Amino acid sequence: MLNTIPKSWNSKLKPHLFCPGCGHGIAFKQLGFAIDGLGLQKEITMGVDIGCSLLAWNFLDVPTIQTHHGRTTPLLVGYKMVRPKRIVISYMGDGAAWGIGLQNIIHAAYRNNPVTVIVINNENFAMTGGQASYTTLPGTVTPTSPIGKSPELGAGFKGPELIRNVAHKEAYIARSTVANPIHLLSTLKKAILSQKENNNFALVEVLSICPTNWKTNAKASLDIAIDMEKVYPIGEVR
Amino acid sequence: MTHTTKIILAGEGGQGIQTIAKVITEVAAAQGMMVSYIPVFGVEQRGTPSVALIILSNEEIFYPRFDNADYAIVLQKRAVSSVESYLHNKTKIVFDSSTIGAENLPKEAIHRFGIPATQLAAEKFTPKAFNLIVAGKLSQVLNLDEDRVWQKIEKLLGKKFKTTEIREKSKQAFLFGRQFVFELKHFSKPIFQPATGKIVSKNAEKTALIDPERCKGCGICIVKCPVGALKFSDTLGVFATPVPEIDLEKCIACGNCFRFCPDGAIAVTKNKKFK
Repeated sequence: MLNTIPKSWNSKLKPHLFCPGCGHGIAFKQLGFAIDGLGLQKEITMGVDIGCSLLAWNFLDVPTIQTHHGRTTPLLVGYKMVRPKRIVISYMGDGAAWGIGLQNIIHAAYRNNPVTVIVINNENFAMTGGQASYTTLPGTVTPTSPIGKSPELGAGFKGPELIRNVAHKEAYIARSTVANPIHLLSTLKKAILSQKENNNFALVEVLSICPTNWKTNAKASLDIAIDMEKVYPIGEVR
Repeated sequence: MTHTTKIILAGEGGQGIQTIAKVITEVAAAQGMMVSYIPVFGVEQRGTPSVALIILSNEEIFYPRFDNADYAIVLQKRAVSSVESYLHNKTKIVFDSSTIGAENLPKEAIHRFGIPATQLAAEKFTPKAFNLIVAGKLSQVLNLDEDRVWQKIEKLLGKKFKTTEIREKSKQAFLFGRQFVFELKHFSKPIFQPATGKIVSKNAEKTALIDPERCKGCGICIVKCPVGALKFSDTLGVFATPVPEIDLEKCIACGNCFRFCPDGAIAVTKNKKFK
C-alpha cells in the first residue's frame, strides 16, 4: 500500500487544521521525513508556540507540549536538563521567535543549550489576519500597511544572522524554504543531528507561504517564496 | 409594534457568508431598518464553519443578543452543527439541498426550504455564483430592493468580476435566485458532497493514490508537476473543493506532488519490477 504521509504523522488527526496550501504542512512533511529517516520518532518531544503553530498540536505522533510567546524554547531547555536522552524540537512562527519571544532564543543560543528550534517565517501575523510583522518586506500590502509597508519600519528582520553573532561557534544555524523541500529535508536532518550527536544549539528558519493572508493562488505564493530568497538567503548562516 | 427578524447564516469559510450578511444588513439599514450584524469566525480563517448573526428590526436594537433564529440558512454539511443551538420549532431552515441531505438536518428543523444553489450555479452560471443565488432569494424574502442589493453586491464583489461575462452571469444568478421557488417536500439529491475512500489509479509502470478525504484543493501539486500530468477533476475533497486527477501516461513519477502536498493527499510510485 502506498503511503501518502510520513510514518511519524498522527494519521488520526488528519486532515489537519491548517489552511489549504499552508506552508506549515510542507514543513511538517519534511520534518516527518527527517524523523522517519533518522528513526527518532520514539525519542522526540515537540514544543509548539502560540499563533498558527499552535494548530500543530499533536500533528506528529510524539509527545507535545505548548506554551506562549517564545517561551517554548526555555521550557524545552528545562525539559532537556531533566531528560537528557530526549530530542527536543521547539516549533514556532516568526512572531513568537523574532518578535515577542526573541530574548528566549538569544539566551538559549548564547548558552548553547541542546535544543532544535524551527522558526516558520511567513512574513506576517497569520492567525490574527495577516498584519505586517517584523519580517514583512518593505512595500508589502497588509491590513496594517494598506499602502505598502514603509521602508522606515525596517527592511526585514534577519533573525538567524542576529543569533549567529551571539551563538556558540559550533551551533548549527541555517535558513531554508518550503519552495525547496529537498534542501529543507537535509537542513532539518542536520539540525536534529546537531543536537543529538554534538549537544549543540540548532536553529532553522523556514521561509513559508501563506496563501490565505497573501490572497494568492498556488503559483503566486510559491513565486513570492522564491522572491523572498533574495532578501533572506537560504543555506547555512556563518 | 416591534417587528424583529433574526437570521443566522452558516457555511464554510470562504463561501461568501460574510459578504451575503454585509449586503443584507447594509441594504436593510439604507432602507431605514435597525440592524445588528455579528460575524463569528473560528481560529482558522478557512476551512471551518463561518457564521453570521443578523438582527433586523423596525425599532432600536438595544442589545444584540441572539438566541432563537427566525431564519437559519445553512450552505454546507459541516456547518449544520453550528446552527443547531439557535433552532426552535418555528425556525424556517433554508438549506442548500445539493450539498446537504434533508436527513442530515436536526430534528428541530420542521419548516424546511430547499434551494439547490450549488447545483444550479454549476449548471447554469459560474460555480462560484451560488452565494448570489442565495443572496437573491434572501433579499426577496426580506423585501429588500432589487437594484439597491445589486449595487451593493457590485460594490463589494466588483474586483472579483474580472470579465464582463462573469459580471453578466453573476447578475443573472442573482436575478434567478430572486425568482426561485423553494423546494418544499421533494428536495434535490445532495450530489455535491465530498468524496470518500481513496482513488487508486494504476498502469503497468506506475501506481498513484489520491486521498480526497485529505485534499483541500490548494493546487500546489498541479503547479509543481513538471510535465503537466495533474489537473482538477469533478471529484470533491474535504472542503468541497475539486481534487486533482492524474494522467499516468504523462507522469514520470518524480515525486514532486508527493513532496509538496501540504496535506499528504497524493503519492505516486513506480511499480516494483520497473524500479
